[in-house]
Amino acid sequence: MILVLIAFPLSIDISQYDLNKFYFSVIVVSLLMISFLATESIFSEDYEDGSLEQIHLEEKDFYKITLAKILVHVFFIGIPMALIGSIFSFANGVSFAEVPKIFVTLSISTLILFNVFAFGSALSINKGSMLGVVASLPLALPAIVLLGRGVRSVQYGQGFFEVSVLMAGVALIVTALMPIIISATLKTHLE
Amino acid sequence: MQLVTANNLGYSINEKRLFHNLTFSLNYGSGLHIKGGNGSGKSTLLRIILGLTSPSKGSVEYCKPNLQVSYLGHKNAIKHYLTPIQNLELIFGSSALQNAMKWMNTLGLNNVQDELTANLSFGQQKKLALIRIFASESDLIVLDEPFVGLDNASRDLLNEFLQKKLASDTSLILTSHIEPNILCSELVLSGDTDD
Repeated sequence: MILVLIAFPLSIDISQYDLNKFYFSVIVVSLLMISFLATESIFSEDYEDGSLEQIHLEEKDFYKITLAKILVHVFFIGIPMALIGSIFSFANGVSFAEVPKIFVTLSISTLILFNVFAFGSALSINKGSMLGVVASLPLALPAIVLLGRGVRSVQYGQGFFEVSVLMAGVALIVTALMPIIISATLKTHLE
Repeated sequence: MQLVTANNLGYSINEKRLFHNLTFSLNYGSGLHIKGGNGSGKSTLLRIILGLTSPSKGSVEYCKPNLQVSYLGHKNAIKHYLTPIQNLELIFGSSALQNAMKWMNTLGLNNVQDELTANLSFGQQKKLALIRIFASESDLIVLDEPFVGLDNASRDLLNEFLQKKLASDTSLILTSHIEPNILCSELVLSGDTDD
């Protein structure tokens, strides 16, 4: 993400563009890529070495381990990326007072996106990551739309609280339900 | 008393029938040695008994819902980027870790306990994986080719361990091309069998 955020302004003639207006799109796209790459092998290692079988024998399903893995990924990758994105927003014209709002918006988005791409990763464990991307994108795009709405609410100073509550609600629902779906998907791979 | 009962088990894959109408039961303290050629469905049958794979027909019943099962299949379920000690810490809680460490010494792994598991030989990795069986208290032990990769001393140790477990009312199901030195009944799969 840092590479993209640094390289982007260097690759265009910034005198011709107002970075403040569209730089955030670059952050969103970077977040999308990070969510995919970070969760690409979230379950494959445990599948390959037989740990998933042992977990299934002990727990009978994968809900707890799935939820734990996603939350750990969000905490150690998603939140820092949201922080970096917020700082780069500030570096590109967003006022300092708005930076916490950007951070909150990005953090909630990472929770949604990591869940979505973890599902794609579970689906494509031994079938190539392209299947995961194809399966995840229809679910990720509405999250991106919501994220864009959140960014506009920060930029125009209108309705940030309402959009944040909506995003938080979606994130909680996705975080509660997606591990159930992922658990069932992983079980089919064991068959 | 019957621990596990299999009723009319059958399994087919890609229009090939591996086995059908398999009915057997396993009592507490009994052993079952599943034999058969390559591709006859031994590992699949183990996975069906464990509930990892669904049978094409039939059912497996356990005498109690929360049966404690220890399983070692073809995959060792150990992390190659961790040391043996770190793997044992991952598998066992603090209460069982000391017992696991004792087994690590018994199996001669104490001199490699701080090396990365990826650097151990196949036999050493197999011994490390077997500690999961040795150090666990379970009602049923399920092993898929446990003797592969072990030296003679370790094979004798495993045989002795399994014999003691059978004597203490733990049940055992295993597949092995190497004949185990324990008293157990046999189930032979021949690719498509009624037995």
